[in-house]
Amino acid sequence: MRAPTKITEHKQGTVVVLCVSGRLDASNSGVFEEKLLGLIAGGEHRFVIDFAALDYISSAGLRVLVIAAKRLAASRGAIVLSGLEGQIEEVFAVVGFDSIFKTYRTADEAVAAFIQDPAAN
Amino acid sequence: MSAQLTLSLTNKLAEIEGVSRLVEAFGEQHGLPARVVFDLNLALDEVLTNIISYGYDDGAEHEITVRLSLDGHTLHVEVEDDGRPFNPLEIAEPHLGGPVEERSIGGLGLFLVRKLMSGLAYRRQEGKNVFGMSRTVADVPVRQHPK
Repeated sequence: MRAPTKITEHKQGTVVVLCVSGRLDASNSGVFEEKLLGLIAGGEHRFVIDFAALDYISSAGLRVLVIAAKRLAASRGAIVLSGLEGQIEEVFAVVGFDSIFKTYRTADEAVAAFIQDPAAN
Repeated sequence: MSAQLTLSLTNKLAEIEGVSRLVEAFGEQHGLPARVVFDLNLALDEVLTNIISYGYDDGAEHEITVRLSLDGHTLHVEVEDDGRPFNPLEIAEPHLGGPVEERSIGGLGLFLVRKLMSGLAYRRQEGKNVFGMSRTVADVPVRQHPK
């Protein structure tokens, strides 16, 4: 059996860190969409999404990121990504997401960069 | 090297995972690079998701057939469905440049298919959509990324 899709959430200061593991495809991206858009609707606006334990992403998962980023652009919020590796990193590059999402090696580095960025405070 | 695999699924998104497992097994059996298997599974996922999500109006169960064939260093894939006529090659490319506000939300799936696979071909035959794609399995050049 493949690992089921799992999303864990914690907060560091004003930054919400979501760690997504398993797969983000058409069958299970709905959970990710509800979680992320729900947090945005609740007023959160700074996100680190860590994909270090993600095995697979299709356009269904990519779509959620674009929708969330569009909503956040209106509230001067942002999503940054961490843990992109191998094939998944390549998928992000193919669709040109490397130009709309800042990426960091680890979630800790992403949070630190968020906190140090005066424009984001 | 020559090998073939034909598999069928019904029009449910949950069936795609089974397809990807069989494709992985086919890849292992024939020593295909992990990157090729990943790209093939992603392209197949996108094509099958489109068919299952938008191809049928009647709520009934339909069979979709996937044929893989390995011919030397080229892998050919054909997907056949009896849904409404749909030519994926007629879909416009999404807008991927500029700030996020101007980006397309849809269209990423077929865009990925175009980038990951080559030799895309569509025909309507005997009331069915037949979509073909291929992929080199060896000496894969580094892909050009959009800037």
